[in-house]
Amino acid sequence: MAVPLTVVDDSRISRKMVIRALPPGWDVEITQAENGEEALTAYRAGKADVMFLDLTMPVMDGYEVLEHLQKESLNTFVVVISADIQPEAQERVKKLGAMAFIKKPVKTENIVAVLEEYGLI
Amino acid sequence: MSVQPYNEDQTDALQEVANIAMGQAGDSLARILDNFVTLSVPRIRQIAIHELVDTVTTMVGDEEEVSAVRQAFYNSLRGEAIVIFTQSGADELAELLGYDCELDAAIEQELLLEVGNLLVGAILSGISETLGTEVGFSAPSLMAERTPLYQVLAPDQLSWQHALLVEVNFSVEKHRFKSHLLMFMTEETIETLRSILDEFMDDF
Repeated sequence: MAVPLTVVDDSRISRKMVIRALPPGWDVEITQAENGEEALTAYRAGKADVMFLDLTMPVMDGYEVLEHLQKESLNTFVVVISADIQPEAQERVKKLGAMAFIKKPVKTENIVAVLEEYGLI
Repeated sequence: MSVQPYNEDQTDALQEVANIAMGQAGDSLARILDNFVTLSVPRIRQIAIHELVDTVTTMVGDEEEVSAVRQAFYNSLRGEAIVIFTQSGADELAELLGYDCELDAAIEQELLLEVGNLLVGAILSGISETLGTEVGFSAPSLMAERTPLYQVLAPDQLSWQHALLVEVNFSVEKHRFKSHLLMFMTEETIETLRSILDEFMDDF
């Protein structure tokens, strides 16, 4: 069965880059969200078993999404995909419950490595 | 000759390139400051020279005196980048780096050159790496210090007709500093960049 995946990024081109970098053959049903609020809406609609989450976004940023998910004990596999490559940013998101961090521009091999590590493919 | 503004997709792509670039700049800045840097989404606008002073004044505020650093870039893209710091931004930056408010002029200059160079370097490397093109750049030089904005951006100071304006915001703890990066380009370069962006998007 296809895995419900939500790709969250305010930039259309960036969502496109992430979607194009998904490993071929990974059976997913993709939902796109432009900000954190839309991401949480997608999650509540059952469309985000896996979430690829950008950090810097208007309306609600990635950190806030993680805080919401943590506070409400929501269960989704979050991979943060961000241009903010400071080691502390990676530590922070992991403390907030993100499973992995991938830097932009995103490459297929980086996504594969994360999915393989957690047995998702 | 008039230049067509970039369309929505081209602007979006450029904004994402700026975002990746600022991520790198933020990381370098965090290492210099030994502190976590919060980045905002950079905003990009394409402006004609005759609108420049008004647009930048609206963003910076007309009370403020500014300092500016300039750097030329060449190879496949040609033009000049100017980073504008407000005096309050420069003071915040100095404080962050552990200097007292009464800054030695030489230290302040060095600081502005360093951070200006960091931002310009990041954005140009970001463009060249992400879009796969060659861009070189010169060493930074100080263009103005504590000068009213309209004088810095006076038309006789600038030999260009078109500019991309990138607004960059960094904050560290309670300090917030904003700087504005202007990329002035020849018409030819505006068009070269347009086709590079189109090609880049065709890859997707």
